[in-house]
Amino acid sequence: MATGIKQQDRQDAIAGWGFMTPALILFAVFVFIPIFFAIYFSFTDWNGISPPTEAKFVGFENFRVLLFEDGIRRADFFKALKNTAYFSLGVVPAQTALALLLAVVVNQRRLRFKSFFRTAYYFPSITSSIAISMLFLFLYQKNGLVNQVLQTITFGAWEPIAWMADPRGLFHIIFGWFGLTLETAPAWMQANVLSLSVWDWLSGPSVALMGIMLLNTWTTIGTMMVIFLAALQDVPREVYEAAEMDGANARQIFFKITLPLVRPTLFFVVTLGLIGTFQVFDQVYVMSSGGPAKTTLTVAYLVYRNGFTNSQMGLAAAIALLLFVIIFTLTLVQRRITEGKKE
Amino acid sequence: MKSKRSMLLSALLLTAMILSACAAPAAQPAAQPAAGGEQAAAPAGAVNLQLMGWASSDAENVRLQEVVDGWNAANPDIQVSLNLVPDYDTKLQTSLAGGAPPDIFYVDSFRLPDLAAASALLPIGDKMTNVDDFYPSLRAAFTVDDVFYCPPKDFSTLALEYNTDLFDAAGLEYPTADWTWDDLRAAAEKLTNKETGVVGFSINPDFARWIAFLYQAGGEVANADFSAMTLDSPEALQAMEFYVGLVRDGFAAPASDLDSGWPGEAFGKGRAAMTMEGNWIVPYLKDQFPDLKYGITELPAGPGGKATMAFTVCYGVAANGKNTDAATKVVDYLTSPEGMKAWTDLGLAMPTRQSLREGWLAQYPNLEPMLNGADYARKWQFRPGFGDVLDTINAGLQEAFTGVKTAQAVLSEAQSVGEQVLAR
Repeated sequence: MATGIKQQDRQDAIAGWGFMTPALILFAVFVFIPIFFAIYFSFTDWNGISPPTEAKFVGFENFRVLLFEDGIRRADFFKALKNTAYFSLGVVPAQTALALLLAVVVNQRRLRFKSFFRTAYYFPSITSSIAISMLFLFLYQKNGLVNQVLQTITFGAWEPIAWMADPRGLFHIIFGWFGLTLETAPAWMQANVLSLSVWDWLSGPSVALMGIMLLNTWTTIGTMMVIFLAALQDVPREVYEAAEMDGANARQIFFKITLPLVRPTLFFVVTLGLIGTFQVFDQVYVMSSGGPAKTTLTVAYLVYRNGFTNSQMGLAAAIALLLFVIIFTLTLVQRRITEGKKE
Repeated sequence: MKSKRSMLLSALLLTAMILSACAAPAAQPAAQPAAGGEQAAAPAGAVNLQLMGWASSDAENVRLQEVVDGWNAANPDIQVSLNLVPDYDTKLQTSLAGGAPPDIFYVDSFRLPDLAAASALLPIGDKMTNVDDFYPSLRAAFTVDDVFYCPPKDFSTLALEYNTDLFDAAGLEYPTADWTWDDLRAAAEKLTNKETGVVGFSINPDFARWIAFLYQAGGEVANADFSAMTLDSPEALQAMEFYVGLVRDGFAAPASDLDSGWPGEAFGKGRAAMTMEGNWIVPYLKDQFPDLKYGITELPAGPGGKATMAFTVCYGVAANGKNTDAATKVVDYLTSPEGMKAWTDLGLAMPTRQSLREGWLAQYPNLEPMLNGADYARKWQFRPGFGDVLDTINAGLQEAFTGVKTAQAVLSEAQSVGEQVLAR
């Protein structure tokens, strides 16, 4: 009997490993080995062209240049980080809130054409990101649909702008309404912090970046909605019925019942959003190549640009590693915050 | 018990399937001729070479395949297969780094310093037939530290394109090769019409266009041996203020302000009366705007004289390729008077050999201004790592166009970034 169990255990183990092997091999080849090499290259001066064996080990030089040496490479890195942070701060709350709202709406039992709406909202998420980006380029043109709609709803007061060519920052525009411009800015705003002036740090997302933010929010809502929908359907109906019996209104039900019960999913969605926005690349690549005036230069795009057009693969790998550290830290911080609220 | 065994079996099968799926592509022939046409079976013992480039228009892809087929038919011992790929720079870089580069590949003059610094290229320029026949300006575009790396396959230069209907409507004389900056500005002002939304001139915030004005002003990016940047010169400032001034005064506009993806499109749509593009605009306009009436002339002269930019690509041979001798022979044929004539007779890009000049002009007389540019064109090439300077100037021009930055500020920033790049 005992040997029988042992034998079965062993067979279970073999079967288990057998099933895991394909995934493990794929993981090793496409994830683990590349990560290992990326870490290694971040300590070299590899140009990305010569065979990697010729790369010279330079220690922490790449990191020193990116973090401590005043110059174009540090300026570009922090500019990209600033743009990415504004991108994330705009997109993550918007996509999370809208996705939750849509999920609650399409989760209503009495809603007609429920499957139509679910499909419609999910559709942007499964369409090719490149194709959508190309399409949005047309929408954002000066005589494009976005400007036309804005003109219609403002009764012609809206002055058409070429969205993807506009480097003005949102906060700079708002400062301008109060007469605060680069010329009138106080001295502390002209001071340099990490190779960028305070004035630059406070630019807000540029008009072009907001265009990409809008597109990114629209394409990611669907996926987030589906995740929320799954969570909402796990909430037992009895809880809602009990709440209704107690006379709770729709608002109370949402904030006192729905929201607390989907909190773990909320954490998951915000984490996904955070990681996704910090890695945004394809839409920048297609729509703006980092321009105008580097205001849509994101960290992921900077990695690509340094690695493949500026022949500084070592530096690119170092930026990628720093990006990893930043995302990792943010996720930890964010988990601490969400868990803290859980009491 | 039985189900356990079948589970184990299925797990193994799954593994085998995934592994074979990974391995499958390697069994396929790596290079496919992109432009179509069956590859003739190579005779035994023949050397097989791969020629990698980027895909252009269909007409160009087909013509290049024909030229290569011609070589293959005449040289059974050296067979070339053409591989035209998308996302070319990334593909080339990874294959060079991977140690298995294509035998022959396109090299843009801007990219040459990076590749030369990485010792990726075999210097074959001087092994070509009648080297002196290539235009000196184009040989210079592939020469780094006195080494002539690779022969130019063709080239384009910037010229001034003008919409004859709009000039007629404004009652203006057509531009000529004798034009100066003042003529350009005066005409652009008169052609600009707020009512119809037409501007005189379409230029993008692009270093590759502004630099022609820099040279016309008599300025330089750096000194001759690239030991110091010279973008802080009064000439550079004059060129920057002229270029940005055209836009700030409303006589010129970037393509994005004219609902277009690039100045050529704005010009084709009739939203700009003039633009400054290279040979590539000719097939584009013919294809997209066949009814457009326009003329081409040389770029105007600035205070420092005439200047234009030459954009050119060469056939590079990989330094660590296996059959470099055979590859050199093929490149020699492709850039020989005979091979180049077969290629450039299509009329899209211009022959880089002076001996082909007259024959080509007889076929395409309207492109003479572009070919004339070869005599005074400057190369589009700097030092390794100059991408940072390029990005800085492009970003600065974008800000200057919207009025956020002054011409002076753009130049001092570019000067400082350039100094950092040269110091590396």
